[in-house]
Amino acid sequence: MGMLDNRVAIVTGAGRGIGSEVAKLFAANGASVVVNDLGGAVDGTGGEAGPADETVATIRDAGGNAVANYTSVADYDGAEGIIQQALDEYGRLDILVNVAGNLRDRMVFNMTEEEWDAVVAVHMKGTFNTTKYASIYWRANREGHYRLINFTSGSGLHGAPGQPNYAAAKLGIVGFTYSCANALGRYGVTSNAIGPGASTRMTDTVPTDRRSRGFDEDSETTVDPRRSPANVAVPIVYIASEASDWLNGQVIQAMGYDIGLYNQYEIIRNLSSNEGWSVERAAEEIERVFKPAIEGSRLFG
Amino acid sequence: MGMLDGRVAIVTGAGRGIGAETAKLFASEGARVVVNDLGGAVDGSGAAAAPADEVVAAIRDAGGEAVANYSSVADYDAAEGIVKDALENFGDLDIVVNTAGILRDRMVFNMTEAEWDAVLDVHLKGHFNLTKYASIHWRSERKGHYRLINFSSVSGIFGAPGQPNYAAAKMGIVGFTYSCANALGRYGATANAISPGASTRMTDTVPEERRRAGSDIGDSSEEDPQRSPANVAVPLVYIASEQSDWLNGQIVGASGYELQLFNKPAVIRQVRGTERWTTEGAAQQIEELFKPAVGGGGFYG
Repeated sequence: MGMLDNRVAIVTGAGRGIGSEVAKLFAANGASVVVNDLGGAVDGTGGEAGPADETVATIRDAGGNAVANYTSVADYDGAEGIIQQALDEYGRLDILVNVAGNLRDRMVFNMTEEEWDAVVAVHMKGTFNTTKYASIYWRANREGHYRLINFTSGSGLHGAPGQPNYAAAKLGIVGFTYSCANALGRYGVTSNAIGPGASTRMTDTVPTDRRSRGFDEDSETTVDPRRSPANVAVPIVYIASEASDWLNGQVIQAMGYDIGLYNQYEIIRNLSSNEGWSVERAAEEIERVFKPAIEGSRLFG
Repeated sequence: MGMLDGRVAIVTGAGRGIGAETAKLFASEGARVVVNDLGGAVDGSGAAAAPADEVVAAIRDAGGEAVANYSSVADYDAAEGIVKDALENFGDLDIVVNTAGILRDRMVFNMTEAEWDAVLDVHLKGHFNLTKYASIHWRSERKGHYRLINFSSVSGIFGAPGQPNYAAAKMGIVGFTYSCANALGRYGATANAISPGASTRMTDTVPEERRRAGSDIGDSSEEDPQRSPANVAVPLVYIASEQSDWLNGQIVGASGYELQLFNKPAVIRQVRGTERWTTEGAAQQIEELFKPAVGGGGFYG
């Protein structure tokens, strides 16, 4: 008896890293899984069937249900095919987990147009593409406990200086998740975002002196089980289950053995007036009221 | 004696609405301004020189200094030209205000690829394009007191259900702003995001019953001074001035006569493990600890 018995999931980027662990743990908990992976390099180039096939083989060897899909999530029409494959193979779709991502790190003043476009296309448009076609199905079949689970990052939530494209895409996904939470609730869908922490080939690209403390080993060499992407998959099983209807529009941290809940945005200082502000008075009041409120506020690094 | 004497600003989308008010107020405070506007429709189609030209004429008539630029900020190479216009006409660049934006509202399940792409291109890529070329100049000059002022929106911060593209882009801009705040501080640049509230032709597209009570009420043609985009421009003068070095990586709300400071993402509940959680253990912890902490809140609920 698994927490996801009889449920059908699509996991993108499921050939390696966090996506692969999510697909395997979902299957172990009873879900039938479409294992999507382009099989490209970390920078998004190339493509091969191997990674998705390997995850599917592991799931089947353990007695689970899975099929492979090799489409790039950045391909709008291809995304429709991923959803169609779930419906054709398993007759329904309950859970969409958007893990697929790539990296092209560069400081903003050195970043090329191509580096910007590639990261925004895979993360942001990829998340939109699959969500659009999943939400068409969910809206037409309203009986469900449907789950949209997107991936954000501390890079966006706190602003990694060497990842302007990734930071933009990852916080953009939070805005998209909030919009979907408000739009799709009436159709039985919850939308949440995961802020993960683990050692994978994606974090291997970060110089070792820039990594968070405790996350400084390469994924190939680490033997620290706290760094395993398998940890990230664990709370996602609950979020994907029918028990989590109450959780919507939230950012959940899944990092090592820690599971956290992020705050929501809110106004923490408000200056009201019953007429238009003068430039001088606005300046005075902003300094007087806002400055003490942000002193010591944490920036990245 | 103005608060922006001797400073040079680029304001994008300055042909109408908030951008035009910002350009005019900056000029009256002593800044020399590049007034950028493609002169397109709210949906981004078309182009015309008149909107930018009219703002430049208004500034010059009042004794200020301004030049017009008609490039689309979504054009990577043209963005370099906007920065060059500032350097060639006024010899410097201190302030970039990224106001230019468009709308293509649609529920996620009905949104077309073109609607997604158009909004992401102008808002998110437009912000990157201009910031990249401005930051090259700032990094090589390092004179200090540089200001990057980006435009976010409550649509992204709280997740407008009918604007998945705009919500994603506007929160993406916050992630980009955080990244720039962390990356460019050492070169004397601050990066902040504005969450505006005013009646302009962009809010005129929102059906009346969907507008936020007390905030987005009324058409831009109505003469409620509280809804004027001129209010939004007032606090931007201070943020653009040399006095605001302490303000970096923040979201500032400027809505009607209200001036607001937003919080930043932070983990507010956390369960820590000493080994990998079981799926059941994680499920129990999430329900016990997170469920009481969510609920309520939300703005579009």
